[in-house]
Amino acid sequence: MNDFWSVCLLCFEKDLPTQQFKTWVKNLRLEECPGNDPLHFRLVSPNRWVMDWVRERCLPQIETLGLEFFGSPVSIELLVERTPETPVVNDSQELLESISPASNTAAKRGDGNSKTNSGDQRFEKSRLNREFTFDSLVTGRANDLARAAAQQVAMNPGVSYNPLFIYGGVGLGKTHLIHAIGNAIYADYPDIEIRYVHAEDYFSDVVRAFQQKSFDKFKQYYRSLDLLLIDDIQFFNKKERTQEEFFYAFNALVEAKKQIVITCDTYPKDIHGLEDRLISRFDWGLTVAIEPPELEMRVAILKKKASVERTVLSDEVAFLIAKNLRSNVRELEGALNRVMAYARFHGREISLEVAKEALRDILGATNRHITMELIQKTVADYYRIKVSEMYSKTRTRAIARPRQVAMWLTRELTDRSLPEIGGAFGRDHTTVLHACRTVGDLRFKDTVMNNDLHVLMQTIRE
Amino acid sequence: MPMSAQQQLLLDLKLEQAPTFENFIVGRNEELLGRLLELKAGRSFDALYLWGGEGCGKSHLLAAAALEIADTRPVLMLDGANVGGDIPAVAGGLIIIDNVEDLGPDAQIALFRVFNAARLIGIAVLLAGRLPPLELALREDLRTRVGQCLIYEVQTLSDHEKSAALRQHALLRGMRLDDGIVHYLLRHGRRDLPSLMAMLNGLDRISLEQKRPLTLPLLRELMQSTLDLKPDESSPV
Repeated sequence: MNDFWSVCLLCFEKDLPTQQFKTWVKNLRLEECPGNDPLHFRLVSPNRWVMDWVRERCLPQIETLGLEFFGSPVSIELLVERTPETPVVNDSQELLESISPASNTAAKRGDGNSKTNSGDQRFEKSRLNREFTFDSLVTGRANDLARAAAQQVAMNPGVSYNPLFIYGGVGLGKTHLIHAIGNAIYADYPDIEIRYVHAEDYFSDVVRAFQQKSFDKFKQYYRSLDLLLIDDIQFFNKKERTQEEFFYAFNALVEAKKQIVITCDTYPKDIHGLEDRLISRFDWGLTVAIEPPELEMRVAILKKKASVERTVLSDEVAFLIAKNLRSNVRELEGALNRVMAYARFHGREISLEVAKEALRDILGATNRHITMELIQKTVADYYRIKVSEMYSKTRTRAIARPRQVAMWLTRELTDRSLPEIGGAFGRDHTTVLHACRTVGDLRFKDTVMNNDLHVLMQTIRE
Repeated sequence: MPMSAQQQLLLDLKLEQAPTFENFIVGRNEELLGRLLELKAGRSFDALYLWGGEGCGKSHLLAAAALEIADTRPVLMLDGANVGGDIPAVAGGLIIIDNVEDLGPDAQIALFRVFNAARLIGIAVLLAGRLPPLELALREDLRTRVGQCLIYEVQTLSDHEKSAALRQHALLRGMRLDDGIVHYLLRHGRRDLPSLMAMLNGLDRISLEQKRPLTLPLLRELMQSTLDLKPDESSPV
């Protein structure tokens, strides 16, 4: 049986990105079931999220491998490790899919909140924002990895991944996630010292300590924390003294098994003006990305946000807003706020027409038009190929990949239909569909490709 | 203007009229005006961004808001170009910044930090700029925070509302303004309100200097001679 599991692990290690393998698969345990059937196993996951993920992405493959290994079908039962945290995990099961607010989950969380609402000074000192919880975070493909990792850390602070390094573009919910970790840990361990700090404020603290010659106090404070949540670490850029102080605080905390969570706008290797010794330490734990939300997730975010405001948002209105504001969650919220304020002032229901009128203030009349030609040219320049190759018959990888990228971008950035896009590239719509799927998958697996896409999107939008 | 022996020397006393909500011609900005007044109510977090082309009345509205709200909460009013690396944020206060596109790199970080602290200590932020947030050339982390504000495009006045504004302004200066003059101004001059007001002020000046009544020929003369007249910045809108 152990041999079988070793084979499975080898397979997954080969197939999955290292990060995913480390996060999800490595800590699983395969056990034999008590009973007569030697081909009946139990696969034990450390928690529910891992189990759900494994069910979806690994189970079929394990069964196939079992069939090959034993020559007959195996049956596998999925279980969660029995730990004191388990009940909490079960309660929050809906969170994973939570796109509409799960009322009973919210109620249970509410209990936790009333506990924290007791004006606890310790909470105030933590600088946490109560509104940013796991409950209020909408999950989708773009952030489910980051969210699951954050929840793991929240359940086992200092033990599972230290540091947890969350990176992603502007306005995608990094700060929300880091506060959610803090709030969840506070709910479970109200007696520990938690501190959320923005990197700029940490820098100010260093400056103040410098001016007031109070470095001892400063050091003592940051090393006394049980949980340090530090936001936007890219702001440490070229601030050498700050980096040095953080380096020592980091070492002291990690050594004492105190949890550190860091957010950044890019992945560790790409941060500018940061010492190598810090960057290498950021890789000690787990690094997870948050991607820009896809259309469906943006719609879900809008609906959730509206329901918090006790407003009903129809699908068509949500789609209209989500189609127009693509790149980040903040501006999505701004647009929704404007639509709601407009409807309230005019005493009208939020209809498509009302939303269109209100959105004029957000988009402006001069909303630049992104054309397919522009996208083709930008992508061709970026990959140093000829624009004509975008619609040529060539199918070598060096040409086909940029072409797929251009198709994906056209789909993301314009309102063109698949056949129209196909036409512009001399292909039919199924090719476009295939390209969109391929690139859509790749961007979650391949960091270089992901970076290319970010740069291209930015260039095209300028 | 050629100097003549009869030219009246003027004691150049300008009409001091502070921009207020009362002397703002509302036009299609009713909702915005109401929303600005709401800033008075609490000392809690709030964030508004007004945008619009030159002469649409942004600065007037900001100044009016500062004046109106100063009674109820501490107000700090700044111009984008003058903001430094530190914006003093008072709990419960209102921070007003005009021309956000002129914020320098340090000032952008300062405003970014204000946004981050705002929710926690109940700061209201009222900003204005020439472009909608999607087109602002600011650092992305700040730009998206501006985009999260409640956003209003300040609507320019219709010609009808502009003529009302001109008449009101003339009345305050004690000018007797003929309909023909208003129509002529709207048809032949630059039609943004500051330019119109500047022209009106110029007309008043030469009418007094030359002791001539306010007539169309006088206006034509003025417009001919001041084709490149810059809008008089001191004139209230």
